[in-house]
Amino acid sequence: MKPDNHEIIDALSSEYVLGTLRGPARRRFERWRTSVALVDQRCRFWEERLMRLAIRLAPLQPPAHVWIAIQRRLNLTPSRRALHRTRSFALAASVLLVVGLTALLYWRGHQTIRATVVATISAKAGEHIWELEVFGNTQRLVVHAVHLPARPAGRDYELWALPKGGSPVSLGVLPATDASSRTLSAMQKQALANSSEVAVTVEPHGGSPTGQPTGDVLYVARLRAAS
Amino acid sequence: MNTVAESPTEFDELLQGLLGRCAAADSNALQRLYELVSPILFASVSRILRRRALAEEALQDVFISIWQQAGQFTAARGRPMAWMMSIARYRAIDLLRRERYAPTLVAELPERSSIDAESESQGQTAAWLPTSELMEPCLALLSDMQARCLELAFIDGSSHEDIARLMGSPLGTVKSWIRRALRSLRQCLER
Repeated sequence: MKPDNHEIIDALSSEYVLGTLRGPARRRFERWRTSVALVDQRCRFWEERLMRLAIRLAPLQPPAHVWIAIQRRLNLTPSRRALHRTRSFALAASVLLVVGLTALLYWRGHQTIRATVVATISAKAGEHIWELEVFGNTQRLVVHAVHLPARPAGRDYELWALPKGGSPVSLGVLPATDASSRTLSAMQKQALANSSEVAVTVEPHGGSPTGQPTGDVLYVARLRAAS
Repeated sequence: MNTVAESPTEFDELLQGLLGRCAAADSNALQRLYELVSPILFASVSRILRRRALAEEALQDVFISIWQQAGQFTAARGRPMAWMMSIARYRAIDLLRRERYAPTLVAELPERSSIDAESESQGQTAAWLPTSELMEPCLALLSDMQARCLELAFIDGSSHEDIARLMGSPLGTVKSWIRRALRSLRQCLER
């Protein structure tokens, strides 16, 4: 298989990535990809683009024993902490990305950093919508969108600290995607320190133009010390 | 007004950092990576293989490959999630080829996300997905049949023959739909 025609290469690459190139042709193509840079380049092009088709794929938590089997196969010694994490992890799929972002902070700082304050924003039915974590020593806020309701067209959800005796202070527009983090300003940190609750309002796209809530308060959640 | 995050970029950086540490044989990094991406990769391989034991085997293989090949990944190769998703899908397709079996539904077989078409149309996506402003209008150009064919192939791992059977259409027609759909996407994306 040595076509030098760009179009043929691209057509084969797209069918390979899509998964419809099967059987011996697929195996030949895989060998070809490893030896021809253009083929590899076109495959990567399609891998990036077609991944979008997986938008409706709902995450599925693997059972805990899969990770243990991986460790065994790689001769990695699971630490007690790791085993504990695995069990916890299996029970708490909804906070996966928060854990990962916590890890990012750990790596960046080369020290153990734990959330100091957390909050869960829930719908009336009890469904968790966002999980918040505040890392006091790094002034970082991590937000995990667990089950985001449909966002009104052209609008954003905005998070507010509600300091006692003061006006609400914006903590930023909440993510439409799964997990994110941001560094808090001194004012935001101070407002959070004086707040026992946070609120979510619906605002024009990009956030309130006035710096104060302009839309309906949709959710209020209590801040609590992280355990 | 501040935005809480540029999530895809930060998520990419996070995954890239983890892969770099895996390449340096840091097993803690592999564990973090597993925690972050295994639910998506497991959903993908489960959807293709439709048998729990096989899907678990595939997921193990995928993370062995990620660990062994992490040094080959660079940011210039593209998004780390696309790289890992490809490893997972290709492994599942390989296992499909190896296993000649009657598909059995996995108990928790991931179906369409509860994030339905309405919320999709409002631009809400999972963090692990690229916010592809380029891809969306190109996908919108496809006919319903073409889009369905691509989805069945990419998400469910269906072969041309499977798709023809599922859609009740002649094999040649299905192949033509897919070929034209991919050509249409390429032309649109490279405009």
